[in-house]
Parts: sequence; C-alpha cells; structure tokens
Amino acid sequence: MTETTPVVFVVDDDPSLRRAIKRLVESVGSQVELFGSAHEFLQAQRPDAPSCLVLDIRLPKISGLEFQRQLTDAGIHIPIIFITAHGDIPMTVRAIKAGAVEFLTKPFRDQDLLDAIHQGLERDKSRRAQEAEVEKLRTRYESLTPREREVLPRVVSGLLNKQIAAEIGTSEATVKVHRSQLMRKMGAASLAELVRMSQKLQQALP
Amino acid sequence: MISANAVITGSYDYGEVTRSILIAIAASYAALDLAGRVTAASGRVRTAWLTAGALVMGIGIWEMHLKAMLAFHLPVPVEYHWPTILAALWVAVFASAVALYVASRKKMGPADALAGSVIMGGGIVGLHYLGMAAMRLPATTRYSPVLVTTSILLAIVFSLIALLMAFGLRAETRWSISRRLGSAAVMGAAVSAMHYTGMAAASFISASPPDLSHAVSISPIGGYGVFTTTLIVLAAAITTSSVDRRRGEEVRRLNQELERRVAERTSQLDAANEELRREITERQKVEHDLRRSEDHLRLVIDTIPQQIWSGPPDGTLDFCNTQWRTYVGLSLEALQGEGWQSMLHPEDRERVLRAWRESVATGTPYEQEERHRRADGQYRWFLARGVPLREYAGRIVRWYGTNTDIEDRKRAEWALQELQSDLYHLTRVTTMGGLVAAIAHEVNQPLAAIVTNANFCLRHFANGTDHSDKMREAISEVVNDATRASAVISRIRSLLQKGAQERVELDINQIIEEVIVLLRAELTRNHLTLQTDLGLDLPRLSGDRVQLQQVVINLIMNGIDAMRNLTDRPRQLIIKSMKHADGVLVQILDSGPGVDPEEADRIFEPFFTTKSEGIGLGLSISRSIVESHGGRLWAERVSNGALFQFVLPESDGVS
Repeated sequence: MTETTPVVFVVDDDPSLRRAIKRLVESVGSQVELFGSAHEFLQAQRPDAPSCLVLDIRLPKISGLEFQRQLTDAGIHIPIIFITAHGDIPMTVRAIKAGAVEFLTKPFRDQDLLDAIHQGLERDKSRRAQEAEVEKLRTRYESLTPREREVLPRVVSGLLNKQIAAEIGTSEATVKVHRSQLMRKMGAASLAELVRMSQKLQQALP
Repeated sequence: MISANAVITGSYDYGEVTRSILIAIAASYAALDLAGRVTAASGRVRTAWLTAGALVMGIGIWEMHLKAMLAFHLPVPVEYHWPTILAALWVAVFASAVALYVASRKKMGPADALAGSVIMGGGIVGLHYLGMAAMRLPATTRYSPVLVTTSILLAIVFSLIALLMAFGLRAETRWSISRRLGSAAVMGAAVSAMHYTGMAAASFISASPPDLSHAVSISPIGGYGVFTTTLIVLAAAITTSSVDRRRGEEVRRLNQELERRVAERTSQLDAANEELRREITERQKVEHDLRRSEDHLRLVIDTIPQQIWSGPPDGTLDFCNTQWRTYVGLSLEALQGEGWQSMLHPEDRERVLRAWRESVATGTPYEQEERHRRADGQYRWFLARGVPLREYAGRIVRWYGTNTDIEDRKRAEWALQELQSDLYHLTRVTTMGGLVAAIAHEVNQPLAAIVTNANFCLRHFANGTDHSDKMREAISEVVNDATRASAVISRIRSLLQKGAQERVELDINQIIEEVIVLLRAELTRNHLTLQTDLGLDLPRLSGDRVQLQQVVINLIMNGIDAMRNLTDRPRQLIIKSMKHADGVLVQILDSGPGVDPEEADRIFEPFFTTKSEGIGLGLSISRSIVESHGGRLWAERVSNGALFQFVLPESDGVS
C-alpha cells in the first residue's frame, strides 16, 4: 500500500496548460492524469494511491469551488491545489477554508506548484495512513466481547478494577481477566496507548 | 267729213290698219323688253343696248306709221318725199332713245317722267306729222287744230303711261307673257290711237300736182315686204332681247345675289375685323402679362438660393441661372455645352460623368453628391439632381436640374460620424473593461503554459539530464502558446483602437470565431455552454471588421447577462449563421428568460436597460452599426429564451 506511486490529477479546460503541467510533474517522478472537465474526472476510474488534484478554479459548467464542495460531500478527501488566472481574496479564503492545499495564480512558479503537489501528496499519504490505523483499531475493537467493550471505556477513564467491578456487578478478579484480554486483543502495550487508541476510535466512529 | 267738192275723201284698208296696230303692239313689246334690258346692263353694253333698243323701237314706231299710211287710201296718187321720211325715222329713234333712257334709270321722279313723256310724246307727234309732211299728192293738207292738240296730248299721256309701265315692269324678272303682252297691247293701242287721231286731224283738198322730186311711193316698202321685214326685225329684236334679257336678268339676279352676298360677307368681314382687333388687343395684353410673368419667373429663378440648369436631351447644358454662374464665376457661354464639367473636382469627375452619361442614356433621374469648384477655387459639396421632361410619347424633351449646396450638411454628417465612431469606441472600451477578467484569463492561460514549459526546460538544463525530445516538444508548445497570446492581444487592441470606419470584404464566420475566442473565458466563468452552427459557403460581406465584432460581442454578452441568474435549466448559448435572401443571417439564441414583448422594441433605444449595471447602449449601438451596414437587427422571444438576429447584405464586390 505504501509503495503505490502517487498520482497527480489535473483538471483544466486548457489542453496546452494541462500538457505543460503533466510534463513538469512527470519530470519529478509523479504519475499524472489529465482531465478537461470535472465531469470527466468523476467518471474516470481512479487508482487507489496517494493523490492530489490540480484544479482550475474556472471550469465550464461548474466552478472549481463548487466541485470541491461536491467532492467533500461525496466523501472524496483528495487534497486540492487550485490554479487560477485571476483569483481574488474571498475566493482564496473560501478555497483554503474548504481544505485546499494551495491557491496558485497563473502563471505560477514551477517550484510552487511542485511544492504544493508534494505537500498535497504528503497530506494524502498521512491521511491514508491515518485511515489505515483507524481501520486496524476498528477491526480489533470489533473482536472484543460485549463484556470487554463495557470494561474498555471504564479502564480508559481511569477507574480502578474494584470500582469497575462494582459498576458492572461482577467480581474484581473477573474485571482483571477482561482487562488483560482487551489489552491483548487491542494490541496496547500500556494503558496510555490504549487511551490513545480509544480516542482515535471515538473520533472515527460516530 | 267733209266739204263738198274740194275735199278728197280717203278710206281705210282695215286689214292694213290691223297690221299697223299689231306692229305698234310688237314695237311696244320690244320697247318694254328693251327698257328692262337696258336697265340690267351697264357701261358700254348699256349704251349698245340703248342704241339698239332705240333703233328697234324707233323703226317699229316708224314702220307702224308707214303701215298706217298705207292703210289710208286716197283716190289720188300719193308719193312720199323720202328725206323727210328718213328724218321722221330719226325722230322716232331719238324719242325711243329718250324713252328707254328715262325708263331704264334707277330712279324716275315725277319730273323725269314728265320730261321723258313730253320728249317721247313730242317725238311720236313729230314722227307723225313729218310723215304727213312727206306726202306728195295733188292736194293740200289742212289740219283741225282741236284734233292736232288732242293727238299731241294723247301722245304725251300715252308716253307717260308707257314710261310708267316700262319702269314698273322692268324690275320684274319673271313677268308673265300675258301681262307683258297686255302692257304692249295698251301701248300699241295708244300709239295707234294717237296716229289715227292725227290722221283724223288732217283733211285733203285737191290742188295742183305736187313737186315730185325726191318722192317715192312707199307701197313697195310699206307692202308685205315692209311688214314682213319689220316683223322679222322685231321678232329678231324680241328674241334676242328676250334671250339676252333672260341671261341679263339672270346675270342681274346673280349680281344682286352676289351683291347681297358681298354685303353679307362684308358685314361678316367687318365683324371678323372687329373680333380680330379685339383679339389683337387681348393678345397684346396676354403677351404683356406673359412677358411680365416671364420676367417674374426669371427673377425667381435667378434669386432663389438654388443653382438651376436645363439642357437638351443629349446631356449638354444650355441654361443655368445667375446663382450658379456667380458661384462658379463663369459666364453662361463658358458653362454651356460641356463647359460645366470643368468645375468638377478631379476625384469626382469620372464618377459624375459616368453617372450622368448613364442617366442621359437611360432617362433615369440623376442624383449624385459631388464637389464643385467655387469662383475662388475652393470646392464645396453639392447634391446635383436632374430629371427628364418627357413628351406624351415618352421621348425626352429636356433635362432640368438643381445643385444644392450640402457642404454644411456634409460637415455635420462627418462630425456626427466622428461622434458616433467615438461612441462606438467608448462602448467598446466599456465592454472590454467589463471583460478584463475574462480577457486576462484568456491571455494568462497560454502564459501559464509557457512559463510552465519554460521552467521544465530550465529544470532539465540545471539537472543536466538529456530529454531533448521532451524539451523540443515543450519549446514548440511555448511558441504556439506565445502566438496564441499575442493573437488575443492584437484582437483586443484592434477592438480598442479608435479608427475611422473602413469597409473591407469579410467572412462573418471568421468574425464570430474571433469573438468567441475572446469571450470563451467569460462564457466559462458563467458556466454556460456554447454551441455554434456556422453555415458553409456564406456570401462575403462588406463591412467594418471591428464594428461587426462589436455587434457580435454585444449580443453574446447580452445572452450571458440574460442567463446569469438562471438556475432551473442549462445555460446555453447557440450561435448560428446561414444564408439569407438578403445576404447573411446571424442568430444568437440564449436560454434565458427572454425578451418581454412590451420591451422588444424599447430594448434598442439608447439608455434603455433592464440590467442594474448596464448603461443601455449595447443594443442601440449594435442596431445602428448593423443598419449602417445596410442590414437590420431585431429580437424575438422564443419558447425558451431570447433570439437576437441580424441580417447583413451580401457584398456587391466593390469595396
């Protein structure tokens, strides 16, 4: 998973600029895929790899900002680098607030674009790593028994075994067994790690 | 009668008496007839007739006398002294002449009648008593004074009656024979009565034999021979007279008719003369009025502030008014014929003469704007017009024309054109101002590609890596993009240029495509799709490229603006071009709310706008540009949006 080549998607209605960007980005070793419109991009089969999107803010039919919102709504969390011939401050603010990596004004410096792409890919990589982590924890969590799932939040909130036993109506010894079982199942080496894991899970799960 | 032995008693042969009376009647007839004849004649003919009439009548009376003498038989031998008898004849002829003269005069007063009858009566009496005096017989003659007086009175009275009869009858052209005969009988009887009264006044008493020298017997003359000869003479006279009289009467009648006609004609002529005089006066008045009116017209023609000319159908000039002559500073002689052509501006000359020759050849009215040289050498613009005057059959009789000074109007027109051109420019600048973002994008796009490609190359140089294929590719794209950017810029510059309108031959599709390139970014920014359907093989147009681009830009921007707030359906702009009967039709269809029918015409009014930020000149300027190209621009509401279209005429090939 981590070895997959990152992909840079470019959506711009100007074929000449699209080709120039592809040429530049490929020269630093990234894979580039070009699209003339947002629609083409959505229709395409995208590889499962770290990626980012270089998006012209002025597109036929819908604007880049609108497209950004649509992607977020669809749960596609791809980092976006906006390029525009004529950007204004409100537009920039909106784009950045909505999670854009960078907002570049054409003609842009090549390094700026490459830096932004790099940043975007990194962001996507970490996002992907984070997603993978949460997924792993969720699998572990799902392997817990209902009694263990009752015990877990109480352990994380710092209650003593005796207190837990009193709350869930069992013996202190039984709580002790549950506790060591869930520590093992979750793969937590210490209580502090378990606490961190639990926080991540709480964030990811509603 | 009669004393016992001394008196010789005579007796009458009644046959001879009758014959003598007949002769008298015949002579009277002839006399009456001749009176009319003499009356009808004039001049020498009259004299001739008078002479002949007097002879015939005199001889007749004389014959009658001789005959009456022969009818008187005396028991003694009787002979006659012939010189005396001849004298008697002359007396008869003279009396007849007098009688005819009096009776044939135009008027016969009582004095004339009386004098005439006295002379005539005297003549007859003279004839009788001379005849008696010519008798040579062995006896002496005695006269009874009473009877002699009676015979004289009878002669005078009968002469008077005869004259009155002749005078009364002569005028009648158609007398009845019976009436004439009656008159002749009365006269004959009267003459006879006088004669026999005279005879009765004489009585013969035997005496010594007479002196018989120069004496002859009249029996041979007075016998049948005399009678016959006399009759023949009389008949001839009567016949001639009556024939001639008829002819004469006819002539007289014709004369009278002629005179009547002449009189009639004369009066007609007088009336005609009068009429003619009146007409002449009238005519003189009319001519005078005409001259005045002519003078007046000439004054008008020379005074009105207009140059007027006329000329024969061949296109030369033979009249021009003072205004023109003063303007050109040439005399009519110098302008006549083809002299006027010298005042034309050298640049106009060929065009003007060609147009004028064509008008003259085809008979179509002439109208051209042309420059004419003023007396001081300066040229001014004139509107020259000419129209042919035709006769009923259509043949051109003359050309009439005017030259109107339009220099001031021309100047105003130029100023207006300049203002209009400024306005067009201003609105173009305004439109471009609104499009700056879009245009910047349009220029930035290739610039971004250029910068990116150039950086790519630099990066490779820096790294020392060899990717010459890729680099060549990048550089050629740089060239393309730079060209593209410069094309956009030059289009913008031409749109913003403030230049005089110039007409060139152009292709409307090319104009549409150029404008689309400029506006693509604007279309994109507003998220609308553009569809074009440009016809092939469209006729070429003649026009000003920048102005027509302005029209297309205005209409497209209008469509974009109309769809700005559209959310319930796709924003779509369709541009079509196609052939049209009048040239080329361009349609620009948007899917916006459409044009309010109530505003469909008002939207072309200057400063009318439905947009909050519009100044309301786009459409009015577009319309005036299209119309200045000889086309028209209008709007329609369609089922889903608004349709703006304009037609431009095909280029006539002359530009």
